[in-house]
Amino acid sequence: MIMGALIFRRLMTAIPTLLGIILASFFLIRIAPGGPFDGERPLTPETQAALQKAYGLDKPLWEQAWLYISNLLQGDFGPSLVYRDFTVTELVAQGLPISLMLGGCAIILALAIGISAGLTAAVRAGRKTDNLIMMSATVATALPTFVTGPALALFFGLWVGLLPVSGTGQGITWLIMPVVALALPVSGAIAKLTRAGLATILKQDHIRTARARGLSESKILFKHGLRPALVPVASYLGPAAAGLLTGAVVVETVFGLPGLGRYFVQGALNRDYPLVLGVVTLYAGLIILFNLFADLIYGWLDPRMREG
Amino acid sequence: MRRLSNRQHWPLWVVIVLVLLALFLPFFLPWTYDQIDWDAVRAPAFSGSHFFGTDEIGRDRLARLAAGTRVTLMVAVAAALVSLIVGIAWGATAGWVGGRVDEAMMRFVDALYALPFMFIVILLMVIFGRSILLVFVGIGLVEWLTMARVVRGQVMALKQRPFILAAEAAGTPPSVILLKHILPNIAGVALAYLMLTVPQVVMVESFLSFLGLGVQEPLTSLGILVKEGADDMDMTPLGLLLPGGLLVLILVCLTIEGERLRDIYS
Repeated sequence: MIMGALIFRRLMTAIPTLLGIILASFFLIRIAPGGPFDGERPLTPETQAALQKAYGLDKPLWEQAWLYISNLLQGDFGPSLVYRDFTVTELVAQGLPISLMLGGCAIILALAIGISAGLTAAVRAGRKTDNLIMMSATVATALPTFVTGPALALFFGLWVGLLPVSGTGQGITWLIMPVVALALPVSGAIAKLTRAGLATILKQDHIRTARARGLSESKILFKHGLRPALVPVASYLGPAAAGLLTGAVVVETVFGLPGLGRYFVQGALNRDYPLVLGVVTLYAGLIILFNLFADLIYGWLDPRMREG
Repeated sequence: MRRLSNRQHWPLWVVIVLVLLALFLPFFLPWTYDQIDWDAVRAPAFSGSHFFGTDEIGRDRLARLAAGTRVTLMVAVAAALVSLIVGIAWGATAGWVGGRVDEAMMRFVDALYALPFMFIVILLMVIFGRSILLVFVGIGLVEWLTMARVVRGQVMALKQRPFILAAEAAGTPPSVILLKHILPNIAGVALAYLMLTVPQVVMVESFLSFLGLGVQEPLTSLGILVKEGADDMDMTPLGLLLPGGLLVLILVCLTIEGERLRDIYS
C-alpha cells in the first residue's frame, strides 16, 4: 500500500519533469541556426518553403510544440527529416534494443564486479588486499570511456585479434569490449560505496549481537551486513544510469554500433529536430523509470525508507 | 607547505610537474603544436627533432600534448570555478534560509542529478557554436550540484553554532555573517570538492571534444588528441596511447588527491 503511494507520488513528479525536458529540448534545438534542409546543394526557396510546409515547420513555434506533444501522447514521434524514408519511431526502434543491451549488461557487470570487490575489501579491511582493491577502484572511476574504449579495441581487436573492433556481427562477442569500457568506472564507484557501507554496518549493534549468538561470519556478512550496506549503492544507481547512457554515446561511436546515442549525435549535427527530440524523450523516460526502480530497490533494502 | 611536502601527496606533485611542463615546455621545443613538418609525416618516436614523433599530417606530438594539456586544464579550472560559485551561492542560500525554500531548492538539485544533463549540454554546444567560453560555462553549469549539496549541509550545521547565533543576536546583517563567518569555515570542504570537480570537468570537456563538440581546431585538447589517435590507431598506436595515458594519469592523480582532501575535511 505504502509502496503504491510512493510509486504514485514519483509518477506525479515524473510527468512534469519529462514534459519540462521535452519542451526545453524542443525550444533549444529550434533556436539553433541552420535547418535540416541545408544540404550540399542549395534548394530553391520554393522547394524550401514546400518542405517546411510539408513538415509543419512554417507554423508558430508554440503550435508546433503543442502538436508534437499531442502526437507524442499517441506514440507518434514524427518523421525523420534527414533519413527521409524512416519515421523516428522506426529509427528509435532499431537503436533502442542495442542501447538497452549495452546499458543493461554494463550495469549488471558493474554491480557484480563492484559489490564483490567492495565486499572483499571490507572483509580484509586495513590489509594489503583492501588497499589494493580500493586503489584499483579509484583508478577505475577515473577511466574515461573514450580512452578505455579505443585502448581495448587496440589491444584485443587489433593486436591480439580476439574481438571484433566494430559492428554487431559475430554472436555476442561484439558486446564484450563496449560493455567492459562502460562498466569499469561504474564498478569502481560501486566498490567504494559497498566498502564504505559495510564498514559502518559491521560496527553496529545488530551485527555484534549476531556475532555473540555465534552465527558464522559468512551468514553475518550476507544475511545481516550486505543488505543495509547496499543502500548507498541503490541511491547511486540513478546517477549511474545517466552516466551509462552518456557513456553509451561514446561507446556506440567508437565501436560503430547503431544505437540511440549515434542517432542523437547525428541528429543534433544535422538539425533533425524530431530525431533529437525522440531520443532525448526516450532517454529521459528511461532514466526516470530507472530512478523509480532504484527507489523500489531502496525501499526493499531498507524497510525504514518505505514510510518516508 | 610542510604538509604538502609529505610523501603522501605524490599525486599533487605529479599534477604540478605536468602543469609546469605543459606551460613551459613549448618554449624549448623547435616545433609549435599546429606547425606541419612536411619532411616527417608519421615520424616514429625519437626521430630527429620530434621526441614522440609526428602525427598523420606531420605535427609534433610532444608540442601537441603540451598544448592539449594546457587547454584541457585551463578549461577544467575555469569550469570548476563556475561550478564553485554557482554551487556555493545555491547551497548557502538553501542552507541559510531553510524551510520551504530549502526544500524546493534541494528538490531541484535532486531532480537535476538524475537527468541526462549531458544531452542538454550537447544540444547547447551544437546550437551556440563551439566557443571555448561556452564549453566551460556549459560544463560549470552541470557540475555544481554536488558542491551545492555539500555547502548546504555545512551551512546548516554552522547555523546552529554559538558564534553564528551570537553574531545574529548582535544584529550583524546576514550578508556579513555569510561572507565573514560562514564562508571561511566552509572553505576547506569547498576546496576538497573543487579538487574533485576538476577531474569531472576534465572528463566532460574531453568527452565533448572527442565527439567534436568541444574545443575546435586549430586549438587542441587532450580529448581531441585522443580522438585523432583513435582514428589513426591502426597506423600509429602511440597517437592514442600517449594522450590517453596522460589524460588517465591526470584524472587518477586529481581524484586520489581530491578524495584524500575530502576525507580530511569531512
